[in-house]
Amino acid sequence: MAQRAVWLISHQPRTALCGTVRFSRRYPTVEKRARVFNGTSYVSIPEDGPFLKALLFELRLLDDDKGFVEIRDSCSHINKTSIYGLPIGGEELWPVVAFLKNGMIYACVPLVEQILSPRPPLISISGISQGFELLFGIQDFLYSGQKSDTELNTKLSLLPDLLLQACPFGTLLDANLQNSLDNIHFTSVPQPQKQPAWKAGTCKKIGKTMEIIIQLTKEVQSTFFDQHDLSVPWNFNYRFKCACDLEGIMPNVTISLSLPTNGSPLQDVLVHPCVTSLDSAILTSSSTDTMDDSAFSGPYKFPFTPPLESFNLCYYTSQVPVPPILGFYQVKEEETHLRITVNLKLHESVKNNFEFCEAHIPFYNRGPITHLEYKVSFGQLEVFREKGLLIWTIGQKFPKSMEINLSGTVAFGRKSHEKQPFDPVCIRGTAYVKLHFKILDYTLTGCYADQHSVQVFASGKPKISAYRKLISSDYYIWNSKASAPIIYRKFYV
Amino acid sequence: MGPLSREAWAQRLAAFRASPSAFMTGPKGEDLGRDLLNDLRSEKLSEQTKVSLLVLTLEYPVQLWPDAPAAEVAATSLLDTLVLLPPRPSALRRLLLLAATTALAAGGALGPTSGASCRLLPLLLGLASGSNLEPGFGPTSEQRPLQATACECLRELESCKPGLLGGTLGLLRGLLGQAGPVQPLSLLLALALRNILVVQSRAGAGLQGLLMAGVSPIKGGLWDWTLVEEGDTHIQPQAPSWQAAEEGKHGLAAREPHLEEAREVRAAVAQLLDITYLLTPVAQAQLLWLLGWALRGLQGQPPALFKPQLVRLLGTAQMTLLHAVLALKAAFGEALFTAQDEALLLRRLTLAAQHPALPPPTHLFYLHCLLNFPENCPLGPEGEEAAPLLLRPQMCRGLLPSLLHDPMALLARLHLLCLFCAEEEEEEKDQVQSLQHSLEELLAGLQQRAALEGGPRALAVLCFQASYLVAHCLARQPTVLTPLIHGLAQLYQARPVLAPHFVDLLGQVRPELGEPLRVLLRQEVVSRPGRDEALRWHLQILAKVANGSDQCATLSFLQAAAGHCTGWDLQQALLRVCRALLQAGGGDGLADLLQVLARQLEDPDGRDHARLYYILLAHLARPKLGVALAPSLAVPALTSSLVAENQGFAAALMVQEAPAPMRLSVGSREIKGPLPVLQLQVEVLEPVYSLELRFRVEGQIYAPLEAIHVPCLCPNRPVRPLLLPLQPRRPAPAQLDVHALYTTSTGLTCHAHLPPLSVNFADLFLPFPQPPEGARPGFFEELWDSCLPKGTESRVWCPLGPQGLEPLVSHHLRPFVVVAQPPTSYCIAIRLPPDSRLLMRLEGAQGDGAPVVLRTDDWAVLPLVGNYLRGLSAAV
Repeated sequence: MAQRAVWLISHQPRTALCGTVRFSRRYPTVEKRARVFNGTSYVSIPEDGPFLKALLFELRLLDDDKGFVEIRDSCSHINKTSIYGLPIGGEELWPVVAFLKNGMIYACVPLVEQILSPRPPLISISGISQGFELLFGIQDFLYSGQKSDTELNTKLSLLPDLLLQACPFGTLLDANLQNSLDNIHFTSVPQPQKQPAWKAGTCKKIGKTMEIIIQLTKEVQSTFFDQHDLSVPWNFNYRFKCACDLEGIMPNVTISLSLPTNGSPLQDVLVHPCVTSLDSAILTSSSTDTMDDSAFSGPYKFPFTPPLESFNLCYYTSQVPVPPILGFYQVKEEETHLRITVNLKLHESVKNNFEFCEAHIPFYNRGPITHLEYKVSFGQLEVFREKGLLIWTIGQKFPKSMEINLSGTVAFGRKSHEKQPFDPVCIRGTAYVKLHFKILDYTLTGCYADQHSVQVFASGKPKISAYRKLISSDYYIWNSKASAPIIYRKFYV
Repeated sequence: MGPLSREAWAQRLAAFRASPSAFMTGPKGEDLGRDLLNDLRSEKLSEQTKVSLLVLTLEYPVQLWPDAPAAEVAATSLLDTLVLLPPRPSALRRLLLLAATTALAAGGALGPTSGASCRLLPLLLGLASGSNLEPGFGPTSEQRPLQATACECLRELESCKPGLLGGTLGLLRGLLGQAGPVQPLSLLLALALRNILVVQSRAGAGLQGLLMAGVSPIKGGLWDWTLVEEGDTHIQPQAPSWQAAEEGKHGLAAREPHLEEAREVRAAVAQLLDITYLLTPVAQAQLLWLLGWALRGLQGQPPALFKPQLVRLLGTAQMTLLHAVLALKAAFGEALFTAQDEALLLRRLTLAAQHPALPPPTHLFYLHCLLNFPENCPLGPEGEEAAPLLLRPQMCRGLLPSLLHDPMALLARLHLLCLFCAEEEEEEKDQVQSLQHSLEELLAGLQQRAALEGGPRALAVLCFQASYLVAHCLARQPTVLTPLIHGLAQLYQARPVLAPHFVDLLGQVRPELGEPLRVLLRQEVVSRPGRDEALRWHLQILAKVANGSDQCATLSFLQAAAGHCTGWDLQQALLRVCRALLQAGGGDGLADLLQVLARQLEDPDGRDHARLYYILLAHLARPKLGVALAPSLAVPALTSSLVAENQGFAAALMVQEAPAPMRLSVGSREIKGPLPVLQLQVEVLEPVYSLELRFRVEGQIYAPLEAIHVPCLCPNRPVRPLLLPLQPRRPAPAQLDVHALYTTSTGLTCHAHLPPLSVNFADLFLPFPQPPEGARPGFFEELWDSCLPKGTESRVWCPLGPQGLEPLVSHHLRPFVVVAQPPTSYCIAIRLPPDSRLLMRLEGAQGDGAPVVLRTDDWAVLPLVGNYLRGLSAAV
């Protein structure tokens, strides 16, 4: 369950080492156990320098990625998890949990309480998921609300102290490092029994206004094609976010989600670990099942003890008959230029009142835009020549016809590799339009959580407010004249 | 020396952290540990600096105090510092507890004889139980954090020495029920409980008593060490793999507890499970792993206690929690998860493996769990990735790979898709076909991306890894393999620069993909002669795919290419193809090509190589050629190909020294022809081919001896004697030096030095031509007389054995007897090559010997004859 060592490495391409170790921590008592458990297969934790080099090589983050290197590039060297074996000094350090996010590499080596050769199955190593959780916790801490490099550096400088709280001996106590930060400043208030460990040690002051904010966000993912053998899938993911500012040690809250008549049931529900119990009907409802009338249709109750910070109480999906905006995109390669056509249609049942709505039309693996002729029926078109990007701003409303279109021709200059990174998806004719929009106080399904459905078991009466919104996420319309990168057939129906 | 300043310490610590090993071997390394302990008590250093010193000891105690006595001294010093702290709040108190614990545990000093251990343990237990052992130990505001820290320290010590807290089980249970931080106490109790179940199964301690006892384990001021096992080798995995547990390893052998004992254990487990929701998710997971294994060790204890937790746990997608559920699944199987539960767990995993709210590494881990799912009734072989039986393709529609995925996700999803495609169930035939179709499209897309000019190498690597995976999973499905192979051939056509990937792929895949791909690539290459860069790759591919068949096209390609091979490296690439053809057996065209190359190549090294290959081709038979060119096993894997090639030749073509695999001896004599001939008996220990035996005589007393050749010798197969004719230059015995040169069954040519062979004086004897029967006495007398006066006469006493003269003569001298009157008189005439004679009269034998009169025309043989005759009686 324990970790032998943790590293944070910033990836710096085009520098001598291509990276710097920003933070590292070793756990010698765990290392001692590793030596006993791993026996003859034991490989010691290397110093930072050799580790950095080996990890960057394995993750293919060194600049000299030009030649074929058999130990990394061989077709049988297949890695399907973020867990690696690093060749160091003629031996192999395994398992190394590592991933790259926002230019930072997070890495740790979990203790394996067995012989390492042959490699034991990953599922039997408890330290793997613990290691991931530790790294995710560090990542959340570093990037939550962080905007500048200075802020990042401040947070990095706090890490040694935080890990002393959250992971003093290599065994993780709490992945939420913010809690540990709060814990560092001891409180003089004697804490009673049954204080949840995931709540920071401080107690709320009596007399402050209590508040519960509920926010239901629907993220629409969609992918459109216009080819006869491809279906048009779309996907709604709901995020149900809560922020509870309540008095007391263990306030209990129950929030219920209700469906309108004939509303689609909630499916694929994932809840926050603070939810204390769950109806098994909620658990078993899955989008891969065929629907029938006997399906559970709510209300969906979520009893929980809220943590101090705002959190995502649950995620779910729901099947909705229509996508909010239908789209069509066509790109034709003509002699010296591209001819493009985009049609968008807002579904009549959707509230025509956006906070914003725009369509991004990027052109990858080509040079900067040198020439553009276009016609839009509605809205304005902005051109980012160097980036090879068109942004069609539709604004707050679709016109009465609910239908808008754009057509034009684009020509490009010579491609330069430094300015425009290679995009592996949009090659040949493959291209897309991506929609970005947000509609406040609206959800397609009509699923709601109103103030009256909230039960609070705490002293005092909190103010309860509920919001909802519809936002787009990964809303793509692919070029109908080329093959799409997603294969989506009807075989499972 | 006084304490260092804050800056000096900051510099020193930074230098240490940059490379601990380099610092410790440097001049300041030795003092670091000691200075650090001293300065912790200095009043001049700020608390912040002291914190940084202590943090260093938490990470590098082994470097600072490398052995147990040093660790003991350090821990004692840290504890002293702790006691001396003023009673105001201080961040050092907690750190000193952590540091002393780390020093003892990591330094191997923890034990009943360690004074520091005996101070630290009661202190920690006192703090953990919330009772101040020493009044004034820190302000009250610090009590709670210190209580939690003490629990963590105890947990770490218990992890390193299982059974250490065995005596405190009752106490801890009591604390958990009343006051104290829930999480640290729960985890500590769970670990101590699990460990005691292991220890107790060996030691037979009364578990019930331990769980019920509410007293301190400190007996008369001393810690109770009786349950601690000695030696590190006994520390137990906190969560061993389930296979190991199945086999009863790791000391978790299931045991049947007493009724009351079992009840107490269950009560303790239930107590812990009831409050799990108060723990952080990661700690909940740790608790579940520990308790799962605690119950696993007790026979007859149904795991139903966990059931109420499962619905709550399955509702989250928290990685540690789902992982712990999977561990319970693996540990208890059907006892905890019915088939329906198993299906539900699979669904949750499937959902979590693609949920947009979770980060990509989590998706990958869940995909891995799906492919390695601990099924109740697994069908396939253990340890091989497979789709669980209850996981149907319909459930995984969101898990199909697409080009939008990053490489790892694509490969993981592709693997799942391949496993579905490999299913051969009749009712799902349409579905499988549809899946195969998507697979085909995906592979085509990957090939298209890999074919992009200037694309990153990662895209090519992904394409080849996907091809390998498909070939591995679907080797028996020509409907998938055929388009894949054609796609790959087209990829090569578009981008020959990927040749190293093709060579790698051909070396890794099974013949189902490899053979047809070789043929296509060979056709592709030889039909499109290239220049410069493309030529280099073509040659690299040809060196891998060229073989015996269709050599004509390959040779004409090479002939055409030879003109463009201007640089050394291209010439070498060309020669490597020749080498591959040579290895496949060569052919007429190849000999011509090599001759041309040996003349025309610009580079002398290239010409030499070509000439060498030509010579090999001309002189070695096909099997030998194969061996000569095969990679040598003696070559280390990482040397360059040039070195490897040379070493390979060296091994195969150079003569190897070897211990003699045969024994050679001189057999009985048979006289034939005009020269003395040795009959050699040979006996081999292993099969030997093309044996050549070479003989050399010391001192040139014989003419040089011809070598003997034997094509093949096998052990335990009768061999005719080998005949070695001797041509003495004077009649004298000699030592023959013998060397053997032969080929082993592995094709190596070896040389061995055999023990020398002795040619005796008698081995040189030849008879005179026999005159007719009646003329013999006259013939002998003529010879006898002709010896003098040039020669000499001598008399020798020939000792006889008990049987007398007759057997001696008939045994040794029968071919040379000219006149005989058995058993009393014998006239013997011997020819000694090259042109000497030896005549003897043996007459008038007396009891133990016979006088011999001898004449010879060669003075030099007299001592030899004397020795010979004297040795005869012994030899009869």
